[in-house]
Amino acid sequence: MNLRWLLSFVILLLAVVLSGVILTRAQVLGAPNQPIAYSHRTHVEAGVQCLYCHTSALRSEIAGIPSVQKCMGCHMVIATDRDAIRTLAGYWERGEPIPWVRVSRQPEFVYFNHQAHLNAGENCETCHGDVGRMTVTRPVVKMDMGWCLDCHMKQPENKVTHLADCLTCHK
Amino acid sequence: MNRDEDTLNNNPLHSTFKETMPKTLTRREFLKIAAGATAASGLAPAVRSIVIEPFVQPPEEVLPGQATWYASTCRQCPAGCGIIVRTINGRAKKIEGNPLHPLNRGKLCARGQAGLQVLYNPDRLKNAVRQSGGRGSRQFEPLYWPEALDLLSDKIAALSNAERIAFLGGLMPSHIYRLATRLFETLGAAPPVIYDLQSALEGRSAASQLSQAFFGAPDLPVYDISQSDVVLSFGANLLETWMSPVAQSAAYGAMRQGGMGSRGLFVQFEPRLSATAASADEWIPVRPGAEGFVALAIGRIIVEERLGHVGSHRTQAVLYQNVDVREMAAASDVPIETLHRLARAFADADRAVAIPGGYLAGQRNGFSSMLAVQALNLVVAQVGREGGVFLSNPGPTAALRQNLPVNAFDEVIDLIVRMKAGEIDLLLVHGANPMYELPAAAGFAEAIARVPFVVSFSPFVDETAVWADLILPDHTYLESWGYQVPSPGADRPVVSSQQPVVRPLYDTLAAADVLLGLAARLGGKPAEALPWEDEASYLEETVGELHGSSLGAYDARTPSGFWALWRQYGGWWSEKKIRREPELTEVVQTPLPISDPQFEGDPEDYPFHLYPYSSIILSDGRGANLPWLQEAPDPMTTVQWGMWVELNPKTASALGVSDNDIVQVESPYGMLEAPVVIYPGIRPDVVAIPVGQGHQDYGRFAQAVNGSNPLVLVAPVTDPGTGALAWGATRVRLKPTGRKQILARLESLDGNGRESLG
Repeated sequence: MNLRWLLSFVILLLAVVLSGVILTRAQVLGAPNQPIAYSHRTHVEAGVQCLYCHTSALRSEIAGIPSVQKCMGCHMVIATDRDAIRTLAGYWERGEPIPWVRVSRQPEFVYFNHQAHLNAGENCETCHGDVGRMTVTRPVVKMDMGWCLDCHMKQPENKVTHLADCLTCHK
Repeated sequence: MNRDEDTLNNNPLHSTFKETMPKTLTRREFLKIAAGATAASGLAPAVRSIVIEPFVQPPEEVLPGQATWYASTCRQCPAGCGIIVRTINGRAKKIEGNPLHPLNRGKLCARGQAGLQVLYNPDRLKNAVRQSGGRGSRQFEPLYWPEALDLLSDKIAALSNAERIAFLGGLMPSHIYRLATRLFETLGAAPPVIYDLQSALEGRSAASQLSQAFFGAPDLPVYDISQSDVVLSFGANLLETWMSPVAQSAAYGAMRQGGMGSRGLFVQFEPRLSATAASADEWIPVRPGAEGFVALAIGRIIVEERLGHVGSHRTQAVLYQNVDVREMAAASDVPIETLHRLARAFADADRAVAIPGGYLAGQRNGFSSMLAVQALNLVVAQVGREGGVFLSNPGPTAALRQNLPVNAFDEVIDLIVRMKAGEIDLLLVHGANPMYELPAAAGFAEAIARVPFVVSFSPFVDETAVWADLILPDHTYLESWGYQVPSPGADRPVVSSQQPVVRPLYDTLAAADVLLGLAARLGGKPAEALPWEDEASYLEETVGELHGSSLGAYDARTPSGFWALWRQYGGWWSEKKIRREPELTEVVQTPLPISDPQFEGDPEDYPFHLYPYSSIILSDGRGANLPWLQEAPDPMTTVQWGMWVELNPKTASALGVSDNDIVQVESPYGMLEAPVVIYPGIRPDVVAIPVGQGHQDYGRFAQAVNGSNPLVLVAPVTDPGTGALAWGATRVRLKPTGRKQILARLESLDGNGRESLG
């Protein structure tokens, strides 16, 4: 095997890895395809508060995806002729959950808690961006540990020790 | 060394290993693999997406992301422990003991923990089915529930005579028993026959008859182990499967460490060292069937030598007037000195208790042995005293007192005879698996073939369901309603509640709702006797009678408030300890019977006693379809996913076999083959086999294990005293086969963990 072969092999390898990294990056900040073309913008502009649907954000670790029943609570009568609403009604009639694709996520070894963040006075927008203006929801930041700590370290001094402790998030 | 190598090469796993592993790995190959792996891992996240499914209709009490705990009752064995089940996002995730429940006080055994795998078992039936290819074909076609109920009610209506229907039940919740009894009563049919292997192995019907004879009530005794200084257990594996193992284990712990000021002495009499015996101070390998003789001798010594601090034993002298200590010692293989020592320890203790266990009930002289053991409690005046014997509290209301009585084996034989004679046209089976659980020689297989229509309520296709025309799968217990009055009970009246912790996963239907549906379809008297709309409303009415009771640990202002608390607490129980003191009958004024054990099989031809013991892991075989239990190592042999024959080292060497050698075990009734486990904790004249494996059906996990059901060996004989199956009264012979089957064992065989692979 000569040097040229080896070189081209290494370049190919680098290209594959690099494209993988780029694709991953794009995926992290891209908008996933959802089973229903749901628009946060439409709902927020209609005056619906975040907590109306994501009811458990103040009381639980997870914010909660609204039940199909909750959607139908309005859409029994509102905009029933739209395609998206027809799709929604289809799920309701079949008694099936809607297989939403997760937009913002933390890895399994992170114990993220919505309740703690909201009780500390953070807004939804701080992490999720201006969802109220998004027709298609996509993440605005890469939710990695550097980003978490960036904010944690800026907190009042008496809280930083706890907020920078490994076991606070990695139980 | 060579043999080890042979074994290794013959092992199927080893050859697969050789085939899949290339002999050498060149540098180039390594680079290729590495590059591929790197590229794949770089690309991997790009194709990942996570689906999150919301509830369609969320339960009211659920907060997303937060666990909801539901209190219910465990149904993995008949004990009736309280459980709490952690559910999150509508799925059951973990089962723990209910800390408030007076029986198990927050503790739970491995079988209870494994209940999740009953719920999530991939081999569950997902709907009602009819066996389309005929019985035994294992070809099923789904059936619409109303159609199934119509079919069954037509069958009942078409019976020429109500006596031609029979119900064979096993471990079933009390309310199903009560509904079935009511329905059968109105039809004019005999009440359900209740029998399962677990009950036979623990001697439940014999224990109930012993209570009747001694205390004039059929309720099971509660032995107050926790407050006792000396416990003599005669064949009761009370830390494993016997009666109420979790409550008894907690009591054992209290006896060892509790407030009695001493450690407590625990002696176990049985032919094989069980896990319970391993926790005892002393294990005394009595000759099989001679346990009663030991009790008689100890009693005689106490009475004769006026031991202990009870004062006069004059009234009890009559009990032992025919007992000769020397004869008893010789017959039981227990030295006279040991008997004297134990008699003194037992009589001198402030509080002592003797427990007649399941192995006694499984002998042909079972009842006399059990009487002899119970009499010991009388001799040291421990009946109705702390650290002694109490009786279980019955249900607190008339309806709740109607608990299922376990029938003796001879009543099952009666049913089999009637089935064989063609006197039964319709057989319903719930909570029992007689094809697997009865001794093969009892002829159930032949009998069921003579019954024109068989219905099973099993959630799984077990050995009996295979012979059913119709399977109407009940919910599993985590999806079901119910209640149970634990028997043996706790130190106070208890009714344990059962409620669904999740919605039924599949299109199954509660057996109680099937019975109610049948009654409604039949109309007339059955419909009047079973007027309830559904199972839950029946239960609400029945347990609602407890509302307003002054005893309860809680009370509510309204019936619906009570119903809510009943579910939240996991049942109803008295706030204060209320122990039920037994009253003695006149049985205690006549000499105790002395009867020799009898065994099936000529001792010349069949030199060994067969001891089929209840497995702590699989109990009577019900747990065999749960991988968590299969992979749990047996505590004494550390075997996993297996079935074996235990032989004393002397027996094994006389036979020329060693660990993992397959032997043939043959009784006058049947034959099986299994690998040997050399076990020093067993008498040389005894061969022990755990019960629970050898399933022909019952799902992929149960069928995956290479094993046999020891019930094929067991003689279908009974103890004439109780009519109970004498499951320990069969003799067997052994023959080496020259073949091997390597058992997976967690611990090394030499105890040092240094075996080499050769």
